[in-house]
Amino acid sequence: MNHIVSIGTSHHVAPIEIRERLAFSEEQLIESHQSLRELDQVQEAVILSTCNRVEVYAVLNSVRTAETAVKILAEFLSRCHQIDMESLKKWTYLHHNLETIQHLFRVTSSLDSMIVGESQILGQVKDAYDTSRSVGSTGPILNRLFAKAFSVGKRIRSETTITTGAVSISYAAVELAKKIFNTLEGKTVAIIGAGEMSELTAKHLVANGVSNVIVANRTYERAVKVAEKFDGTPLAYDSDLSFLIDADIVISSTNAPDYLIKRQPLVNIMRKRKHRYMFLIDIAVPRDIEPEVGKLDSAFLYNIDDLEVVVASNLKDRQHEAIRAEQIVSEEAKRFYDQLQIFQVNPTIKALHQQFQQIADTELQACFYKTTFSDQQEKAIASMTQAIVKKLLHHPMQNLRCAVNDGDADHGQYVQALQELFALDVNDE
Amino acid sequence: MINFLFLVTLLIYLAAGIFQTLSLALGNRTEASVIRPAIERIAFWCTIIGFVFLTVFIALWWLQQGHFPMTHWTDSTAFFAWAITLIYLLIVRLTHLRTLGSFVMPVAFIAILISYSFATHTAALPEPLQNYWLLAHTTLIFLAYAAFIAAFGFGLMYLITERKIRQKTDALFDNLLPSLGISDELGYRCTILGVILLTMGVIVGSLWTQYIRDVPWRWLDAKVISTLVTWFIYVAQIGIRQLWGWHGRRAAYAAIIGFVAVLCTYVGVDLFLDSMHTYR
Repeated sequence: MNHIVSIGTSHHVAPIEIRERLAFSEEQLIESHQSLRELDQVQEAVILSTCNRVEVYAVLNSVRTAETAVKILAEFLSRCHQIDMESLKKWTYLHHNLETIQHLFRVTSSLDSMIVGESQILGQVKDAYDTSRSVGSTGPILNRLFAKAFSVGKRIRSETTITTGAVSISYAAVELAKKIFNTLEGKTVAIIGAGEMSELTAKHLVANGVSNVIVANRTYERAVKVAEKFDGTPLAYDSDLSFLIDADIVISSTNAPDYLIKRQPLVNIMRKRKHRYMFLIDIAVPRDIEPEVGKLDSAFLYNIDDLEVVVASNLKDRQHEAIRAEQIVSEEAKRFYDQLQIFQVNPTIKALHQQFQQIADTELQACFYKTTFSDQQEKAIASMTQAIVKKLLHHPMQNLRCAVNDGDADHGQYVQALQELFALDVNDE
Repeated sequence: MINFLFLVTLLIYLAAGIFQTLSLALGNRTEASVIRPAIERIAFWCTIIGFVFLTVFIALWWLQQGHFPMTHWTDSTAFFAWAITLIYLLIVRLTHLRTLGSFVMPVAFIAILISYSFATHTAALPEPLQNYWLLAHTTLIFLAYAAFIAAFGFGLMYLITERKIRQKTDALFDNLLPSLGISDELGYRCTILGVILLTMGVIVGSLWTQYIRDVPWRWLDAKVISTLVTWFIYVAQIGIRQLWGWHGRRAAYAAIIGFVAVLCTYVGVDLFLDSMHTYR
C-alpha cells in the first residue's frame, strides 16, 4: 500500500539558521531528486524549497508502517544536509497521508505562510512541482495531489478574501499605487534618502512592474550603492527637486529635520509633468513632505500612520477569513483522500474481478467442450456461473469499499492481503 | 400585450438597477464575498434580458406605429434607455467593468419609467419626416447621449475612488471601483466617442434640412443651439485636456457638467422652450 508522507521545516518551527542549512540550491535539487528516487521504496517525490520553508513530499511503497515511511524520508534529509537525526527531529514536522494532503493544501492556500494570504507561495509550489516533474520524479499520485492543491489554492483565493487587502506597509503602498495608476508598468519611482523600509517598498514596486528607479541621496556614494540593487539612476540632491518631474511614485525617508518637499515647488513640478498623478509616500519621522502637498489635485500623499491604518484593519479581516479557509481546506483534503483511496483500491478490485472472470470462463469452456448441451442449457449454465462470480465477490468488495469510505486504516492491509492471497498482479497506473 | 411586455421590461430594468447598486454597496467586504458575485451576475443577466425585451418592445412599437417611433416622450425615452444599455453592454464587452452599471442602469430605468408612464400615448409624425434621415439622426444623437452618460458614470466612479484615497480610511480596498487611471481614461474615451457621434448626428441633421419640404425650419432652434452648447462643452474639455493636461478630478467634474448639459438639451428645452424638435 502507498504512503503519502512529507517532512519539512518552516518559519513556524525553525529559525533562519536552520532553514538555511536545510534549503536546497537549484543544483542540489536535481541531484537530490535522483538520490531520492534511487531509494527503493520511494515511488514519487516533490521537493519544495523557499526562503520560508523546505519540504519533501513523497509516495512510498512496500513499507509496512507510517513510522518507517517517515523515517526513510528523515534519513534522506539528514544525509542530504549532513544534519544529525536528533536535531532534525527538533526542527522538522512530519506528516502522513491525510495530514500530508491537508498540510500541502494549507501551504498552497497560503494559510501556513508568515503573512497569511500572501500571493507568492502558490507560484513557488508550482515551480517546485514543475521542477520535480521535469526530472521525472512525480507519478500518478503526486500529480493528482498537486493538481488538486493548486485548485484548492485558487478556490480559497476566489471564495475567501484572505488574499485581498494589504497587510504590510510596503504591500499597502503597492496596493495603493495600483488603486491610483491601475498598472505600475512603465512607472518611475524616486527614493529619497535610502533606508531599509524605502528599499523594501521600492523592491515591492519593482516586482509589480515599476520600470525606473531613481535613488536620490545627500551623499552620492550611498545613492550609487542603493541604485545598484535596482539597476536604477543614482543622484545627489541638495535643494533641487527637479528630478521629481519624472517620478510617478516618491518614497521619502530622510533624517531631515524640516520639510523637504513643500507645496509651492511641487506645484511647479506638477505643472511641468502635465499634472500626471504623483503618489507620495512619506515614511520619515519627522516627516519629509509638507501635508499641504496632499491637497494638490494630482498628488496623493500617505505618511507612515496612514499606511498603518490600512494594514491594521486588513490584518484583522484576514484572520477572520482564514478560519473559513481552514474549513474549506479540511473538507477538500478529506474528499481528496477518500477519492485517492478508491483510486488506489480500484486496480486491486479490477484485478480480482478479472481473475474470477477468467477462471469461470476457462472452466465453462472446458465443461462445454467435454459435454454437449443444448443452446438453452449452455445459456443457463453461463448465467449461473456469472451469478456465482458476482455473489462471491459481492461481500469482499462491498466491505473493502466501506473500509475505504469510512477512512478505516485497515483497508491497506485488506488490499495487501487480497493481493497476496490471490496472487494478484496489480500495477498502480 | 405590448403594454404587458413593456411592464415586464420595466420591472427587469428595476431589478437590474437594484441588484447592480446592491453589488456595489456590498463591495469587497469579507462577509459578502460569496453572495456579491452572485448578485452581480443576476444584475448583469437582468441587464441583458431587459435589453432584449426592450429591443423587442421598440420593434413592436415601430410596427404598430408604422414609422420609426420618435415623436412622443414614450418613444424617445424608451429609445434613450435602449441606447444607454447598448453603450453600457459594449463597454462591459470591452473592459469587463460591470460596476459602471451601478451608475448608468438607474438612469436607464428612470428613462423607461418615464416612457412607461406615457405608454398609452402616441403622436402622429408628419409625412415629410417619415424617412431614414430621422432614424440615422436620432440614433446617432442618442448613442452620443449614452456615451456621455457613460462618461458621467466614470466621472462619478473617479470622484468616489479619489475621495476614498484621500480620506485614507481602511475602507479603500472594500470597493470594487476601478483605479483612478482607468476611470479617468475610460471616461475620456467615452467623451471622445460621444463627441464623434454627436458631430455625426448634427451633420446628418443639418443635411436632412436640405431635403425637408413643407415643414417650416428655422436654424435658430432652441434644441439646435442647446446641442451646440453641449457639443462645445465636450470639445472644450477634450481640448483643455490635450493642451494643459487637465484630467482626473477636473475631467470628472466636466463630465458631470456635460451630463447636466445633455439633460438640459434633451429634457429642458422641451419643457421650457419652443423648439421644432419637441416631443409631444
